[in-house]
Amino acid sequence: MGSKQGSWPANLEGSLGEVGMVAGREIRERVRGRIFRIGTLIMLIAVAAAIIIPTIHSGSSGPTAQTVGIVGGLSPEAEALIDAAGAANEDTVKLVDEPSLAAAKTDLRAGAVDLAIVDSTQILLDRPASSKGSDADPGLVQSAAEYLGVVEAYHSAELTPAQASLITNSKSVAVRTLQPGSNQTVKATSIIGLVLLFFMLQQYNTWILIGVMQEKSSRVVEVLLATVRPIQLLGGKVLGIGLVALGQATIIVAFALIVGAAVGSDLLKGTGPLVLACELLWLVLGYAFYCWVYAAGGSTAERQDQVQTLALPLSIPILVGYVFSITVASSGRPDLLFKVFAYLPPTAPFCMTVLVGLHQVQWWEFTASALISVAGTAGMAIFAARIYRRAVLRTGGRVKLRELVAR
Amino acid sequence: MSGVLEVVGLRRTYGTVTALDDLSFEVPAGRVVGFLGPNGAGKTTTMRAIFGLTDLDAGEVRWNGASVGQKERRRFGYMPEERGLYPGMLVGEQLEYLGRLHGLTAADAKAATNTWLERLDIADRRGSKVETLSHGNQQRVQLTAALVHQPELLVLDEPLSGLDPTGIDAIGQVLVDQAAAGCCVLLSSHQLDQVEDLCEQVRIIDQGRMVVSGTVDELETSGARRLVVRVEGDRAADWAQQLPGVSVSELSAGAVRLVLDSSVNSDDVLRAAMQAGRVTEFSFERRRLSEVFREALT
Repeated sequence: MGSKQGSWPANLEGSLGEVGMVAGREIRERVRGRIFRIGTLIMLIAVAAAIIIPTIHSGSSGPTAQTVGIVGGLSPEAEALIDAAGAANEDTVKLVDEPSLAAAKTDLRAGAVDLAIVDSTQILLDRPASSKGSDADPGLVQSAAEYLGVVEAYHSAELTPAQASLITNSKSVAVRTLQPGSNQTVKATSIIGLVLLFFMLQQYNTWILIGVMQEKSSRVVEVLLATVRPIQLLGGKVLGIGLVALGQATIIVAFALIVGAAVGSDLLKGTGPLVLACELLWLVLGYAFYCWVYAAGGSTAERQDQVQTLALPLSIPILVGYVFSITVASSGRPDLLFKVFAYLPPTAPFCMTVLVGLHQVQWWEFTASALISVAGTAGMAIFAARIYRRAVLRTGGRVKLRELVAR
Repeated sequence: MSGVLEVVGLRRTYGTVTALDDLSFEVPAGRVVGFLGPNGAGKTTTMRAIFGLTDLDAGEVRWNGASVGQKERRRFGYMPEERGLYPGMLVGEQLEYLGRLHGLTAADAKAATNTWLERLDIADRRGSKVETLSHGNQQRVQLTAALVHQPELLVLDEPLSGLDPTGIDAIGQVLVDQAAAGCCVLLSSHQLDQVEDLCEQVRIIDQGRMVVSGTVDELETSGARRLVVRVEGDRAADWAQQLPGVSVSELSAGAVRLVLDSSVNSDDVLRAAMQAGRVTEFSFERRRLSEVFREALT
């Protein structure tokens, strides 16, 4: 990342004037910083661990190849059912003919086949499928055993091939429940996303807070404001850090999708990607709202050691939204208060994301919440710019909010 | 490059404190003007007002007769009293950034940065972080930040404080050269000897009001006469304390500096000195700027 013409900070500077120049400086300084690089690496490792560890734990590491030895042949219906059993268990099934039972046993011991079907009436394994060291997929073994039993029953009942086919290809009736079930996968995706959202909002807004405080305490703000307007300086800072944040979040989400696909994680199936996309959108909206709050807060400080004193009260709404959302995402039962919080700009980034994961929100409700957040952000930006302008050049002690609003 | 800065009727109060009280003055093109006053007189507030950094209750700042806005301020250079630079940013990048904020292209900002760093003899620190520089070099970088875009007006709040004599000479020469090139230079300082050397004009304010304004030459040749008398062996100058219409301004190294009322005849002073001992020096001198300053505030 440099300052050469043609790089994206340079293009930003060209197209947005002073705001672009301020944003370009922020981008260069942040991306160059060790904190950003190490932070990104840590988050990528955490995301990879969150996706990979569950798949190792569940023993399912995605589609596996299963070679099935056939002793004594297999009827077409039974062959179709074994294929179906493979698909149901996400296995790629390859059928190989074995000349004899002895040959099948030899192949099983040698690992050339994972399981063998003997005369369509028996399944032979080297060792129990669930035991450690077995190559046979227990799910496939279980399904194949059940399906072969059904085929055997058809034969015993003397059904014609057409009747057997009719029964075999029957479709299940729809199953509906009165209470929504707990979708563990979406819940896990949702919680991982909430944790990332929380840390990212905290990190990026703290950058804003520290950045404003640094400019004020080093007095460079006086030199800058002699040239640019307060709103240009603040807008450039917010834009620059925001773009770095969006870039980092996009890298993390893309990385999560790639790792998820590579290991066949259940976290990114079903509504998982929708929840992630929603979290990315709410990261942008959440940052847009909170960055002004933190900028105004930073401008009231006098010294850099006041970061913690200021950051704690400012982060309380984020903490409330986060803790409430984690609780509801775990229980799967949002109450009325939670749904109200999903429409308030300070807590909407967390609460609305959970409602999406739980299928508890209509598209127009989601849109309404986003629009309320945008309107709230506009109001907050106007208020914060006013506070910033009045406070950032005042020195000689912490500036009280009452004094800034009063005049 | 030329222009005239006009400060017209500035008024600013903070609660019950009046920082600026109908303050007006002018800074002509091509001149170095000293802006003087005791602590709390309103100098920094005035300088901040020129850059729109202080809300005014009344008055306005004009450049070439027109009210100053952001467009004009981009052609001004400012060095605040509280030095302001990004401590962790590289010197060269920082100066280029500030140059670009003042409207320079990237190439021009880079070229101007290199030129000024060479001129101020800190080119070897281009790639250093500001926080690693000595106080004197930080001061030079700060001045470069005010100069990098070739401003038409330079406003410098205490630019010489904390500098060694070499630094004062280097920065002073830059300011004189800028004025010679047509730039308006307004600087505040408590180092009146340096102001006397650098400035052609001074504005002295107190409690937010203008108390003295004029050229250094006019101010030093106006007012009561100054007489320096040295009497051999006399270090107390008791003889001078008794003379009517005469006051002792300064006593140092055996010489007494006297201020004479218009009614005093210098021959009477000479006679009194001769009665005290052998007179080895007897000369009229100009008013010093420090005397102008003190007398303006009494």
